[in-house]
Amino acid sequence: MQDIALQTSRFAAWLGDTDIGLFELRTPQGTLRLGRQGDDIVELPAEVAEAETASVSVHAPSVGMFLHNHPLAAAPLVRIGERVDAGQTIGLLKIGPLLLPVTASQAGIVDGFHAADGLAVGYGAPLVDLPPL
Amino acid sequence: MIEVLSSAALATVQDLGRTGSLRWGVGTSGAMDNLALAAGNLLLGNALGAAAIEVPVFPFKVRFGEDCAFALTGADCAARLDDQPLLPWWVHQARAGQMLTLGLPQGGAQRGSRAMLCLAGGVDVPEVLGSRSTQLRGAFGGHEGRALRRGDVLRAAGAGIGCKSGFGLVPPALMLPLQQDGVAAVRVLPAAEYLAFEPVSRAAFWAGEWKITSQSDRYGYRLEGEALRPIAPMELRSHGIVPGVIQVPHSGQPIVQMRDAQPSGGYPKFGTVIEADMWRLGQAPIGSRVRFIETTWDEALAALDEVRAWLDKVARMVELHRGAPAAGR
Repeated sequence: MQDIALQTSRFAAWLGDTDIGLFELRTPQGTLRLGRQGDDIVELPAEVAEAETASVSVHAPSVGMFLHNHPLAAAPLVRIGERVDAGQTIGLLKIGPLLLPVTASQAGIVDGFHAADGLAVGYGAPLVDLPPL
Repeated sequence: MIEVLSSAALATVQDLGRTGSLRWGVGTSGAMDNLALAAGNLLLGNALGAAAIEVPVFPFKVRFGEDCAFALTGADCAARLDDQPLLPWWVHQARAGQMLTLGLPQGGAQRGSRAMLCLAGGVDVPEVLGSRSTQLRGAFGGHEGRALRRGDVLRAAGAGIGCKSGFGLVPPALMLPLQQDGVAAVRVLPAAEYLAFEPVSRAAFWAGEWKITSQSDRYGYRLEGEALRPIAPMELRSHGIVPGVIQVPHSGQPIVQMRDAQPSGGYPKFGTVIEADMWRLGQAPIGSRVRFIETTWDEALAALDEVRAWLDKVARMVELHRGAPAAGR
C-alpha cells in the first residue's frame, strides 16, 4: 500500500477538480476509497461512514503511520498546550522509509491528539486538535 | 554559492570515492558514511554520487549567498537555519543570506560523528581522476585539494532551481540496525594472516569490545583492546590494501584502514570490515566501543544487497513524493 499511500494526495487533487462523489481503487495490496466532506476530499473506511471532523483539526496529508516525535528524538515535536505557528511541523507521517510533515494549518494552541504515536492513519484522518488563537 | 564561516577545519568535499584508482597508487577517499551521502542526494533529486560536504567537527557554519535547497544526513547535530531548528535527515530550503549552523552530534551512545551537508545539484568542484572527493594526502580533488577553511566559497550546481523540500527519511541506523550485546557492531571477513595469530587472540577479537582511540581519523582508526599476538613474528613486504582492512602492528592493537587509507601497507592483515558496514564505522565516534562479528563472503554480499535494496526503496519513494502535487487542503 505504500505506493498508493504516496499517490493518495494526487488522486485527491484530481478528484477535487471533478464532480465525482466517491472514488474507489482496488489493487492486490488493498482498497483505497476517497469521498467528499464539504469541500474536502477524505479517505473513507471500507464501509461508507461519515467521519466526524472538527474544523479545528489538522488532518493527515497522506496515508501513513503518525509519529509524535522524530525517530531520532526523544521529545515530541509539540506538546498539548503548546502554541504553534501556521506551517509549523507538529507531527510526522512515516511511509516506509519516508517521513512527511504534518503541519499546522493555522496558528493555534495544541488541544489534543486524535491519533496515538505510531498509529496507522488514513488520508484526511483528524490527527491533532488545533483551535485557532 | 555558500561561504564557510567556521575556522574549525577538517570538513571536506566528498563524493562516493575515487574508485578504480588504486592501481595508480591513488587512495579511494570518499564519504566516510557513503549511505548518508547517497540518501541526501536522493532527497534532493541529485545523482546518487553528487559531491557534498562532510563535517566531522562542530560547530560548523555556512552562509547561503543565494536560494538553495539542501539535505542534512549523517549525524544528527541540532542544526539551525538562522534561529530555526531543523529536523535531521531532511530536505530544507535556504534563502539568500541565511546562515546554517551544525551543532554537536545528538543521541547519546547512539550518536553519529559526521554530518553530511548535501546541496541541490551537488558541490560544483572539478572532477579529478573521475571523482570530486578531496584527496588529502595527494592534495588534489575536492576544494583545492584540502579541508575547507573560513572564507572558502563553494558553488551548488543546482542553487536557485526549484527543489521540493520539507520531507525526510528514517535514518538507516534505525532501518538497518546492527549491534552485538548492545554494542555497535560491524561484520568482518577473516583476512590472509588471520590464522597466523594465536587462537586465544582470534577468540578475543570477536568476543571483546574495541575502543576507538583519539588517534582515529579519515585515514584509519586505531583501536584499543586485548592485544592480538601472532604465533610467530611476521615480516611482510608492502602489498596493496583497501579501506576496511584491519592491520595488526607489533603492538597488537589493530588499525582499521578508512577511506583515506594509503593504497599499500606491510602489517599483517587480521580481517576486513565488509563494504556494506563501512558507513557504520565511519559514524562511530572517538571514544565509543565497537564489536566485530565474523562473517562470510556470501553474507557480505547479502549485506551489500540489503543496503542497495534500502537505497532503491528510498529512491522509489522519494521519486513518487517529489512527483506528487504539493500537499494542502
